[in-house]
Amino acid sequence: MGEVSEMTGENVLRAARYPFLPDAKEFISRNIDLSLESLERTGSEAALKRAVERVKDALIFKEVRVSGLNELNYVREMLSFPIAIILVSVVMNEYVRRMYALGESRGAYKRMLNESDETLLYIGEKLGVEGVLDSENTIRVRIPIYLNLAYSFHSPHWKLVNRILDNGYVLVSRSEYARLLQVEVNNYIYEKTLEPVPAGAVPESFKRAVEEIVEVWNKLEAGKPGYAPLKEREDTPPCIARIITRMENGENASHFERLVVATFMIARNRNIDEIIEFFSKQPDYKYGVTKYQVEHLAGLRGGGKKYSVPSCRTILTNGLCHPDEYCRGINHPLRYGEKNAARKPGVS
Amino acid sequence: MVRRMLQESLGFLKREFFKYYYENIGRLVPPEPIRSREFGFFLEKGKGMFRHKCFNSLRDFHEFVLNEVPFDIYVSAANYEDPCNRDMSEKRLVNAELFFDIDAESVSVADSEESAWTCQKCNQYGLGFRDRCPVCGSPTEPVRLVSEKQLKEALRETEKLINVLSKDFGIALEKIHVFFSGNRGYHVHINQEDFLSIMGEGRREIVDYLLVQGLDEKELFDFLNRNVGIESVNPRGIKGRVYRRVLEMAGSMEKHKGGRSRRETVFKMLGNAVEELKVRIDPVVTIDMHRLMRMPESINSNSGMVKKRVQHGDLTFFKPLEEAVAFGEEGVSLKVRVAPRFNLGGKTFGPFKDEEVELPTYAAVYLVCKGLGEYAGR
Repeated sequence: MGEVSEMTGENVLRAARYPFLPDAKEFISRNIDLSLESLERTGSEAALKRAVERVKDALIFKEVRVSGLNELNYVREMLSFPIAIILVSVVMNEYVRRMYALGESRGAYKRMLNESDETLLYIGEKLGVEGVLDSENTIRVRIPIYLNLAYSFHSPHWKLVNRILDNGYVLVSRSEYARLLQVEVNNYIYEKTLEPVPAGAVPESFKRAVEEIVEVWNKLEAGKPGYAPLKEREDTPPCIARIITRMENGENASHFERLVVATFMIARNRNIDEIIEFFSKQPDYKYGVTKYQVEHLAGLRGGGKKYSVPSCRTILTNGLCHPDEYCRGINHPLRYGEKNAARKPGVS
Repeated sequence: MVRRMLQESLGFLKREFFKYYYENIGRLVPPEPIRSREFGFFLEKGKGMFRHKCFNSLRDFHEFVLNEVPFDIYVSAANYEDPCNRDMSEKRLVNAELFFDIDAESVSVADSEESAWTCQKCNQYGLGFRDRCPVCGSPTEPVRLVSEKQLKEALRETEKLINVLSKDFGIALEKIHVFFSGNRGYHVHINQEDFLSIMGEGRREIVDYLLVQGLDEKELFDFLNRNVGIESVNPRGIKGRVYRRVLEMAGSMEKHKGGRSRRETVFKMLGNAVEELKVRIDPVVTIDMHRLMRMPESINSNSGMVKKRVQHGDLTFFKPLEEAVAFGEEGVSLKVRVAPRFNLGGKTFGPFKDEEVELPTYAAVYLVCKGLGEYAGR
């Protein structure tokens, strides 16, 4: 099959290593009949097997591993990716979807770390995350691209305010660039698994593969210890403590500050009367209005939607974040003091 | 928002607004593509905004404005697939222009001779500052006439914003459109293709960048401990500039050591550096992609002035209170309840209290819009 392709051997291996790139799709469509029936016919047993392995890898190890041998079996490797997507779509489970996208993207991230600058930038370009080599170990990324990918990271060093900006570009290291690509790969694959597969079109062999995946998933879930009940913490994060102190002194709080305090108290299971009592110290206090608003936030009125406490990010943006050491590594005030919020190495 | 006012005054405003729009309708050009924008209007006094309106063409939009003579005109920063759908999520947002608001009042405060107060409860009013009504004791509502000085400072802040946008964000000057809002501040619209796609969370990051929020301080202490020279701190990006400023301050502080701990001193300097370098934008406006922006060249009914484009070359000498005046000199009689001294159209007026005065149309419109006077005929 390779002789029909215009790709060089090195590029074919690259396409097998990163089967989400358009290169792999191009290679397949040029060389192989991709209809589901024909896939089943043309001895795609091996590809199906590898596809199941991809999904299992993602569920069990949270990383899809691609060995040198896998790469050499490039046709099987490239085919296994779209098949894996179909399998995951058919499972129709949000958790499996997310784990698969994460596993694929995390595996890709690790492989990308070992690529040359040229290959890394090539992958970026194909993913729409264009980078420009600035100097050794530094890559320039357009600010909008950076923002739309990096906003999900919580570590302060990803915040735009802590970055070097130059004329529309953010400067990132090679590994940070690979990390941004990981997010894009993750998003891309997740989106793919949302595309519906017509039920009638799924061949029998695929259905068995899906069952295999579901079985693995059930085993993993059963092995999990049940959620430990959330420990009731009396500690109040410094941002909210400051607002409360100011309000207790009768200082007029802003609408947002009141929202933060009220949702926080509701989340901590304080009863409505207690909360209203607290707000009674506000200079513009009106019992009826306060009661209505607090009940609204608690989901007892209106659409019944309970309002959540704003995230650390929102509180920061409103200029109310005054972190202390227990805030490290958390992204939500209700997680204040959680020491186990430590993050896994290499992932911010 | 349109304040409570007498029918005669409303009629006066409508007539004057109509004349303005009749003369200047060609200047009202909403951002392209017009079909994918949501429009909003204040059409009647005391009523809410008439929104979720959309137009197929510029001509339809102009026709609507001339027929309705709205008090205020707004257009969405966002492009939608279905802009007139009343359900925000059903509108299906495509992208949105990045836009900034700098409010003169959050940048500096007015002098007392430029202030007045009214009491909504017992209808008292007076000149100067007063938190509570001297008669009934309830909280007063300040009359906010923004002074030339405040607007000047807001303009300096706007220049700071433009500087960061062009230097750090790489946006060419011709894509940065600056407007006097027509009342209390400046609007900056960014017309840069790839910035349209930045979603809410990313906009939040831009806001934090401009307000210098969430700065990582660890590295600063590291710099201070290693005693590095200012030159070795990369000045590209706000963090580097803040650090450099702190190192500068630390250099000049060395001689006189106070009683404070070192950590405290550093945080104090850091705070000062941030105050100096941050750009005082309104965060909410920039983060909210569904925000409606005041239409350029339309009248701001809070003042009767026009939202006016400021060319980059004119930034230094722009005089908002002269150049955004929309109405003529013709004399109008006005019953003024209370008005602090104010400048408009290159002239100074007031202070007035309980008097009938004859004012040029633009000044009369201004006081009526501010709710300080009622129309009493030509």
